[in-house]
Amino acid sequence: MGDKKVTIEVNGQEIETQAGRMLIEIADEVGIPVPRFCYHKKLSVAANCRMCLVEMQAMREGMENPVVPACATPIGDGMKFYTKSPKAIAAQKGVMEFLLINHPLDCPICDQGGECELQDIAIGYGEGYSQYTEAKRVVKNKDLGPLIATDMTRCIHCTRCVRFGEEIAGTRELGMIGRGEHTEITTYLEHSISSEMSANVIDLCPVGALTSKPFRYSARSWELNNVDAIAAHDCVGSNIIVQTLHNKVKRVLPRENEALNEVWLSDRDRFSYLSQTHTERLETPMIKKGGEWQCCDWNTALTTLVAELDILVKDKKNTIGALLSPSSTLEEGYLLQKIVRGMGQHNIDFRIRQQDFSQQTLDPLYPHLGVNIDDISTLDAVMLIGSNIHKDQPIIGHRLRQAVLKNDTKVMAVSHRQYSFHFPVTENIIVHPQRIALQLAGIAKALLTLNNASAPTGLKEVIDDMLITDIQQKMAEKLQAAKRGHLILGNMIYGLEDYAQIRMLASLIASLSECNIGYLTEGANAAGLAIAGCLPHRKEVGKENNQDVGLHAQEMLSKTLDAYILLGIEPELDTLNPQQAINTLTASSMVVVMNAFVTDTMKQYANILLPISTPLETSGTFVNTNGMWQSFTGAVSPYKEARPAWKVLRVLGNLFELDDFDYRSSEEVKESIASKYTAEKFDNRIIWQEHLFENRINNVNNEPIRISDVPGYAIDAMVRRADALQDSLDMQIADKVLMNEKLAQVLQCHADNIVEVEQLEGSGKFIVAIDESIPDDCIYIPSAVAATTNLAAPFSTVSIKE
Amino acid sequence: MGGMTRFFKSLFLVELLKGMRLTGRYLFSKKITVQYPEEKTPQSHRFRGKHALRRYANGEERCIACKLCEAVCPALAITIESEQRDDGSRRTTRYDIDLSKCIFCGFCEESCPVDSIVETREYEYHGETREDLLMTKEKLLAMGDKYEEEIAADRAKDAIYR
Amino acid sequence: MAEIRNYTMNFGPQHPAAHGVLRLVLELNGEVVQRADPHIGLLHRATEKLAESKPFNQSIGYMDRLDYVSMMCNEHAYVMTIEKLLGITVPVRAQYIRVMFDEITRILNHLMWIGAHGLDIGAMTIFLYAFREREDLMDVYEAVSGARMHATYYRPGGVYRDLPELMPQYQASKWHTQAEVNKLNENRQGSLLDFLDDFTQRFDTYVDEYETLLTENRIWKQRTVDIGIITPERAIALGFTGPMLRGSGVEWDLRKKQPYEVYDKMDFDIPVGVNGDCYDRYLVRMEEMRQSNRIIKQCIRWLRDNPGSVMLEDHKLTPPSREHMKEDMESLIHHFKLFTEGYSVPEGQAYAAVEHPKGEFGTYIISEGANKPYRLKIRAPGFVHLSALHEMVEGHMLADVVAVIGTQDIVFGEVDR
Repeated sequence: MGDKKVTIEVNGQEIETQAGRMLIEIADEVGIPVPRFCYHKKLSVAANCRMCLVEMQAMREGMENPVVPACATPIGDGMKFYTKSPKAIAAQKGVMEFLLINHPLDCPICDQGGECELQDIAIGYGEGYSQYTEAKRVVKNKDLGPLIATDMTRCIHCTRCVRFGEEIAGTRELGMIGRGEHTEITTYLEHSISSEMSANVIDLCPVGALTSKPFRYSARSWELNNVDAIAAHDCVGSNIIVQTLHNKVKRVLPRENEALNEVWLSDRDRFSYLSQTHTERLETPMIKKGGEWQCCDWNTALTTLVAELDILVKDKKNTIGALLSPSSTLEEGYLLQKIVRGMGQHNIDFRIRQQDFSQQTLDPLYPHLGVNIDDISTLDAVMLIGSNIHKDQPIIGHRLRQAVLKNDTKVMAVSHRQYSFHFPVTENIIVHPQRIALQLAGIAKALLTLNNASAPTGLKEVIDDMLITDIQQKMAEKLQAAKRGHLILGNMIYGLEDYAQIRMLASLIASLSECNIGYLTEGANAAGLAIAGCLPHRKEVGKENNQDVGLHAQEMLSKTLDAYILLGIEPELDTLNPQQAINTLTASSMVVVMNAFVTDTMKQYANILLPISTPLETSGTFVNTNGMWQSFTGAVSPYKEARPAWKVLRVLGNLFELDDFDYRSSEEVKESIASKYTAEKFDNRIIWQEHLFENRINNVNNEPIRISDVPGYAIDAMVRRADALQDSLDMQIADKVLMNEKLAQVLQCHADNIVEVEQLEGSGKFIVAIDESIPDDCIYIPSAVAATTNLAAPFSTVSIKE
Repeated sequence: MGGMTRFFKSLFLVELLKGMRLTGRYLFSKKITVQYPEEKTPQSHRFRGKHALRRYANGEERCIACKLCEAVCPALAITIESEQRDDGSRRTTRYDIDLSKCIFCGFCEESCPVDSIVETREYEYHGETREDLLMTKEKLLAMGDKYEEEIAADRAKDAIYR
Repeated sequence: MAEIRNYTMNFGPQHPAAHGVLRLVLELNGEVVQRADPHIGLLHRATEKLAESKPFNQSIGYMDRLDYVSMMCNEHAYVMTIEKLLGITVPVRAQYIRVMFDEITRILNHLMWIGAHGLDIGAMTIFLYAFREREDLMDVYEAVSGARMHATYYRPGGVYRDLPELMPQYQASKWHTQAEVNKLNENRQGSLLDFLDDFTQRFDTYVDEYETLLTENRIWKQRTVDIGIITPERAIALGFTGPMLRGSGVEWDLRKKQPYEVYDKMDFDIPVGVNGDCYDRYLVRMEEMRQSNRIIKQCIRWLRDNPGSVMLEDHKLTPPSREHMKEDMESLIHHFKLFTEGYSVPEGQAYAAVEHPKGEFGTYIISEGANKPYRLKIRAPGFVHLSALHEMVEGHMLADVVAVIGTQDIVFGEVDR
């Protein structure tokens, strides 16, 4: 095998290529059509459909030419193949006929009709009539959850879905049972699929056995318009095709991009479009007058807004704060910060779930993963700090899993909860969140010892009398041994009080072990917004703003400002401390909410509601965690009176009579940032800050504290309103409080009981579940779900009452 | 024909009189005129007139929203919207035929896998507004209900040819 | 002396003798035509462009609407071009049916022409007689396809359905007793072929009647003899085809010179004129009707004796029967795909033409291997003939313009497309 060059002949065409590759790959490369069902370039070869049979020149004189499957025939020098010889055609026709014997006559009611591989190949390679007159078999449908509809009678047993489960999703939930005519694809335990990438089996299924449940029967493939777009729910920026009909989004499909999502797409990106016509969509601008909400036109809403804000701005300083969603587009962020700064303010932030901003000046220009997504598979060792990587960033999780399978990458995890990864984790530290820094310090100490280096100033006292545990030692050794090691700071880390210390220690570990370090961020565009200047301490393209640092997100929500502009966020769910956010906003005299959706809570604190479009309705740019700028256009026109936020902000800029607000398109806005921006290669490791550890690593009290994370399907307003996603297994956690058996006994809680959880002045009702993935003294309650809107920030004490 | 003959034929208006004899004969013969609208000319069972949507004998509409007719319609006269009905079946929520676009080619009927959309023998219709010429699902089903017997008989007659 | 200028006037587009929407700008010196300038395009529907965005079969219906008095002949040229690209041969029975209907169409066209032409230049009666026969033939159209005009009956691979075994019948009413109706229904007792057979028996007499009314009629001759003379050389140079060319004495007929379908098995003659004037073209067309009648009779005879398939049984191109579609998987898939995507035609280009009642009607298709034509070009005979209008009417009186338009047998559906 390897790089040895061989020459083969297909249909008389000479092809030179490497030995040992499968014939079908080569045929695909040179464009010779070979029919197939079970073969898929991203999956292993199963060779069970037999559709790709081709004739091969016999090796010895006098032997009859054999018919071989192209997907499972490694090529050797001088081999000759015929894909269209009478023998090959007869073989293909035979296979086709057998495949259709048990296929039901469902085409007219089947969603796959028109984009069905079975149809296409039957037309291209099958007979025009059937000889089969006996009864057809019937297979019971399986319940695979709210995303995937099943019609198992249509299944042709290609096993692509089974192989996808084993090889890509890593969940092994589908399997094949029975033999011959009794063969069935089924879930092992008759339950829904839990994988965050499960819906890819819809694309993989060559027939209509697995189809999209939300899409079911609503349109035909040939009548849909395709619009290329970028997924808006994680920092990968998966490429998607949005399919629309009559100005409604009907379906979202992956668009192949080898650098990012390959041919896959996470369920979240695929189904978030379901929120497009949610009942909570804000239809028109609204103004609160004398406590009553009134619908109004855009003109009225904007002039009122400008009049009120102008009065505030002219009077005093530090009165206006702007908070925006990390999934806002680059253009929206740029225009919003321009307005805020145009008013002489710097209070703008998108880091709405961050708690510790003490070292924000050390932040890189934008949060970068530190390794290209398509290079993840070349890493030797990866340490995940506070990341539920599969649910938070499904594509990166998938890449990491491929790295573990193909490159034997060692993955280590330090976290406050034991997540069930779809790959083996060599070392796992699950601790109380306030001990994460201590654990990292332990690893750092082990590395210092390995390197015979002395501890940097400030850290010495902290680690001097620390004992290095076995696990810490092993982690240190693995990172040290790795040629290409990587540390990844996960989404959960930002919510911790000692984020700065943890980052500093992680950076130290990275420096000592010559590894790189990277950030996973919330939202689709954290990088873009940092570049756009949506930070209190930095202007656009990272210009420092040292003299006049504005208020960061936490400050803005803790002290009441006179006015707020909220772009695309729901503070009761999207901020770290919903209780505080609601109180602060209610106390403020002027809250402008720009959002695609409206809730009753929103109506309590807001004064003006402006309907804006979702990412599927606006043009814009997302910058992903690799610094890739990906622009997109709106797939559908905005819902009712909603308008793209960049247009609203541009008009606002004009009404405030600010300079340079004459953009005619989102491209012009993007261009004005891009012209100032020069991409630079940078190192995420930061310089050692002595003062950080002066008062040691923070102390742990032994009271039970609330730990938390944001469930994958609660991350933003769109996803939270995609009903099918909310019905999935992952969201069963939404009304639960999890703790381990030990703590449950201490607190005298019993599984399935409803308890009241109190935090400061708020409380919520939850169902107790016992879960040993939760460390001691910790109570897990998710964030960003409806039940927690009255609670305060996580990682602080809570009390539980029956 | 000699010059003389031609002269006399011309002089005595022979060819005109021959023509008059022919028209005179028809003047007194049986008329073939049909007294429309009380009376109509024969109409083929293959006639392609105004459309109808049919039902099964149990009252269930035949249409399964497969959209083949919509796809095959050369004039883009058919608009269908579909969804999953509560019982899980595939059904239309909207089935419109714009008669002002339709070219009555009959492809919709040819394409229908469940004999739902058919063209009836109805040709005497008019519209005073555009809406009158937009056949909605209700109108189409009503057409089907009205002519079901005739439709079924006509399809039965033609079954061997299709 | 007073200055004399030519008088320019508009003829049409609403003039009843303009055969539709012809706008003719005439420059007159007194009553003598100096210049005739046809303005066309008022019935332009972009058929050629439209065809580029539809699967091949979906444009068949639009072919009917080109020359809307010879519907099936237009379809014929279009489906023949596709068949040529696909390299398929249609079943013989379908070929006979096509030939038969081409000739029925020719008669329909010529009847329409003689009626309108007569009406234009003062012969009123002929119009009613011609339409009486057209009625029978349209019944045949309707019986076979379901539409009296826009049949959409020919398909690449054959024709849609076989000829029906039943003819619809008159019903008794307060105007006609059962006995009267029975009399009317006498020729409708059998199949379509029986009905048509009866028609062919009668039709020669009808043509005799037309000739009685017109051929020797002095007014008719005064209006047509020596009007719009075209020499054979000019006719060829101008690209004339069909009766326009044969009226000038050139014996050119695609049915004989490049036989398609089963015309080579047919026994018929090609009438030609001598002088190339309107009168000769009239005589040619009258004789063509008789010859068409001959061909129809031969087709009826063959079709009676040779039942069989009328559509190619290759379901990659033609849909399976409804019975099969509802019973077997392969058929259903082919049905589904044919009615949504259609079939793909190999890359290449082809031109096929038929001897249309008006001349050579051809379509030229460039295929890129897709399920729609990359380009469709229609060669419409009327367009060519109309462009020679000036040459034909120059120096004639204004009233002769009507005779020339009539003799050209212009239909704007095909001229404007």
